[in-house]
This record gives sequence, structure tokens and C-alpha cells, in this order.
Amino acid sequence: MAKKVALLTTNFFHPKSERIITGGAERYQVDFCRLLRDMGFNVEVWQMGDNWTKEFDGIKIHGVPANKTEYHTFPELNMAFYENAMAFDYSVYFILSLAYPLVHEKSIGISHGVYWDWPGFDTTTGKQEIKQEWLRRMGISLAGPQKLVSVDTNTINYFNATLPSFYNKWEYIPNYVDTDLFCPHEEDLTKDKIRILFPRRMVPVRGINETMRAAEILTEKYPAIEFHFCGRGHDDTIEMLMSQWAKKQERCYYYWKPFEMMPEIYQMADIVLIPSRSTEGTSLAALESMACGKPVVAGMAGGLSDLVLDGYNGYLIKPSVENLVSSIEELIKDSKKRRLMGERGREIAISFNKKRWDERWAKIIADVFR
Amino acid sequence: MPKLTAMIIVRNEADRYLGRCLESLLTFVDNIIITDDASEDDTPELCLSYPRVKLYRQPRSMFLTDEAKLRRELWHYTLENKPEWILAIDADEFLEESSLKEIPYLLRQRNFKAIGFRLFDCWGSEDFFRVDGLWNPWLRGFSTYLVKYQPELESAWPSLKFHCGRLPLAYRQLIHYESAIRIKHLGWANPANITAKYERAIRQDPANKYMGHEHYESILWPSEKIETSKWREHLSI
Repeated sequence: MAKKVALLTTNFFHPKSERIITGGAERYQVDFCRLLRDMGFNVEVWQMGDNWTKEFDGIKIHGVPANKTEYHTFPELNMAFYENAMAFDYSVYFILSLAYPLVHEKSIGISHGVYWDWPGFDTTTGKQEIKQEWLRRMGISLAGPQKLVSVDTNTINYFNATLPSFYNKWEYIPNYVDTDLFCPHEEDLTKDKIRILFPRRMVPVRGINETMRAAEILTEKYPAIEFHFCGRGHDDTIEMLMSQWAKKQERCYYYWKPFEMMPEIYQMADIVLIPSRSTEGTSLAALESMACGKPVVAGMAGGLSDLVLDGYNGYLIKPSVENLVSSIEELIKDSKKRRLMGERGREIAISFNKKRWDERWAKIIADVFR
Repeated sequence: MPKLTAMIIVRNEADRYLGRCLESLLTFVDNIIITDDASEDDTPELCLSYPRVKLYRQPRSMFLTDEAKLRRELWHYTLENKPEWILAIDADEFLEESSLKEIPYLLRQRNFKAIGFRLFDCWGSEDFFRVDGLWNPWLRGFSTYLVKYQPELESAWPSLKFHCGRLPLAYRQLIHYESAIRIKHLGWANPANITAKYERAIRQDPANKYMGHEHYESILWPSEKIETSKWREHLSI
């Protein structure tokens, strides 16, 4: 009989609505569940929710009414999962802090990147005693699972410097890209235009406000450039405001596209911006742009420095308006550099191929789930 | 490419937007199933002038007396024509042309069996849409217009005479993908029709069961009280 894996996350579905929050972590979850299924496991997912069960991509997702958070951990959800998933053979804690306080015997914890570099984290957890308690709980989260997997080296480095005794538990499996699906287009699709793409959710930590300002400055200065903002807002109002703003600008466009269409969107860009301020792992969007042969202007956050070498396949910047403008200008002015950096990005992306991700994960799963 | 079938209910549309609507639909759908609700003008002839349209005619009008029945019948006619994906649309609604390239991707993807869109009510002309109060297209959510036919789902409609929805209830409860393609609704675009539409709306819902009194009254607001925003076609991508 097939062995059963239970996966715990916080919000795949919005707890109270049908809206799916389709960010990188959610895509990762779908791919990860597919991999487990391909390896012969039965997988079910738990998250916060009002006692419902839904299905997505053939996987059952259970909502449990445990919404309380303390010190950025979810002990109520963790305990509800511990009891609910008792009949399962193995567990995956899809976010590290979900492994506090107690985990099943054979389990894996995953980090999608540091999220405590976000300024809002400091405003809620800034007091010394609160921070200490959060860190104590993180220590317990790391102690439980048999393996800890991180999508970037930044998370591992942070914990090795902070809670060093878990050194041997860590595995680095960076994010991935399907390099057959995301590949360069043979023709130059923009011709006499230069198209700059921001393929991100419209949220401050992703550098949206800095990018909008940079777009205003650069579109005024260079008649050939277009700015494309491609991604969802966190709510309807943000999408309305983005649309209203874009409408007022010259050559600025706001939309989003289904995942299946994204290779084409990247191919039609000349420069891709991933100007995150914080809460980054090894961004899927960055890897996909690189796989499509595009230079990337990335923020110095999380695991973006695992993907972008400053001056080699793009620029790694503190994403201020000024820095964005100057690094984009470098690329606007030099089509050879854009092409060269894009080619190098493609080469780097090949080492992040989805097949490698599958193999690395299969090995760890086989080690722990036996 | 999966087959896409549009289904529409029409009544006395010959002098309105039906011709344009069918022309626009036929650029991206495979066939169109139409129920004609006892039109008294040339609507049936207009429908039949398009070879990919299949027309079913009602002898007596039901839209104002039993909309649910009319919808159910159209659904069953559509199923008779072996659909794969079904687009439930009205004769005065247009998917914005600049984004139609997205449609094949939506039909080919496998994660979602229902697709939602935002509806923009053009007001007083085709170039402006209304944004005040409940008219704001950004803030009133997405509605499911496009679904993949699934024989295992029930075809039941709520037993409502009006505002009963375009699709069977089970389809409206599916987890849907929210598309950025906007639907341009021209039902309110012609100022000459607004009063008649208002009167019909309050006749159908005298107790304000479906919409608040203020929303109905806002139909007749003077132009200085109404907020609109200019429609700009998206860049074609």
C-alpha cells in the first residue's frame, strides 16, 4: 500500500474564500506534491481554514480552524495537524516555523527564504524579549524535523550563525526552472522598443513603489522604452490603483497572465526587474527570466545573490529609485551588454533545471521517508 | 486546442450589439449556441446569417417570467452540441480584443475548470465605464463566465425567477482562475436606454431583494453625480 505524506502550510487557499494566492511558494507546493505523487506517495495538505476540504491538482487540502499566531509561530495549527495527520506515515512542514512545537517522527522542514528581514517583522517582534522568544521557538522548529531544506544559502547562513548546532541537518535545494518551457526566443521580439518587465506581485517588499517612480523617470527620458507590470495585487484596491496609475503614464502597462503564458511574457522583455527589498528566496521569476535569456536587475535580498552575479548576468542592487534608474540605464544604452548578460543568465539557469531539483529532492525524500 | 462554445440568450437584439458581439466571438470561439427568447425583430435572421451559430427559438418570451427555465434550456442545448469549454455571455458583452491571445492558454491549462472575469459597465458611451459605488468593476469581484464542461457535475439552477445566474450552481462554486481580461458591457452605454432599463430593474425586484434601493436609484443619477473612468484598451500582448 502507498505510504502517506501529510503536508502542513498556512494559506494555500485564502482561509475564508475561494481566492487562491498563487505566489512562488504555492507553485512550489503544487510541484512538490506532484513529485511526491510521482514517487508513489499519497499526499494530503492541511492549512488554516474553517473546517473545509477542497481539492487542487488532485490533492486534498483540509482547512483546520486554528488561526492563532504567537511570536510568528502557529502552535495551535501545529498541534491540530499533529493530531489530524496521525494516520500519515511522514510529514512535511512547508514553512519552518510550522514545525513548532512538535513534529511527527519522520518529517522534513522547508524554508523558502528569510522573511524576518522585512521591516514589519521588526515592528511586531522588535522588543528584545519578544525576539528572544521567537528565536527560541525557531530553535525548537529546527530541532524537530529530520532534515531541513532551504531554497537559498542565505537562510542556511543565517541559522548557522545564529543556531549553529543544526549545521548538519541543512540541505540546499535551490528553486528551479523548466528550461525547456522557459527558453530564449530566436527573434528579437521588441525590435526598436526596449521593454522592461516587473513580473512580481504588486507589494512594497517587491519594490513596486521604487519601480513605479523609476518608470516615470525613465519613460519620460527615453521614448523607446516601455514598462510592463505583470502580477496580481494583494487585493482589489491595489489592482484598481495600479491600473489607474498605468493609464495615466506614457507606455506603462499593468496586467497579469496565466502561468502558461509567462514564457512568452519573459521572451518579449529586454530587461527584467526583481528589485525585492526583503523576504526573498531564490525567486522563480528571476530564474524564469534568466532561462529566457534576459538580464536581471535584482535587489540584494534573500537568495537573489545565489542567482545574480553583479555585472555578470545582471545587477544586484539596493533597490532605491536612483539605483534602479542607473542600472536600468546601463542596460538601455548597451544592447550588446543586454544580450551578453542574458546569455550568461540562461547558462546559469540551466544549473537550476527542474530535473536537478527533482533528483535532489528525490534523494532527500528517500533518505527520510523510509 | 480544446473546443470553445459560447452560449447566449437573445431577445430583440437586431438593432443593438448582437452583430458586433457575434463577429467578435467568432474570432475566438468555435461555435455559438443561441436561445432566441421570442424576438419580434430580425434577431433570428441575424443569428442565422452566421454559419457557426446554432439557433433555438422560444415561441413565448420567458426572460421576464422564468429566467431560470430559459437558462436551463440553453444549457441543455449547449450540451447537445458536445462542448468542451463553455463561455456564458450576453449579447452586449465583449471580451477585450487586445487580450484574446490569452484565451487558448486558459483553455489548455489544467489547474482550473472555471475562469472568472471582471465586468466593466460602460456608461453613457462606449469610451467610459462607471466606477462609483457598486458599479466599481475593480471592487465587486470576479464572475465566472467560462467553464469546462464536466458531465459529473449537476446541472441544477437555483429556483429563482430572476438574477438566477448564467451557469448551473455547481459550476459557479468551482475554484476559479481570475483572468485580467476585462469584459466590456455595453448594456448601459446608450443613454436612451437607461430609463427603460431602470424601470425593468425595479419592476423585477420591487422589494430590493437582489440589490439595495440606493443602487437602483443610482441608475438615474444626474451625470454630475456619476463617476466614470476612460476605457483604454490594453496593449496587445
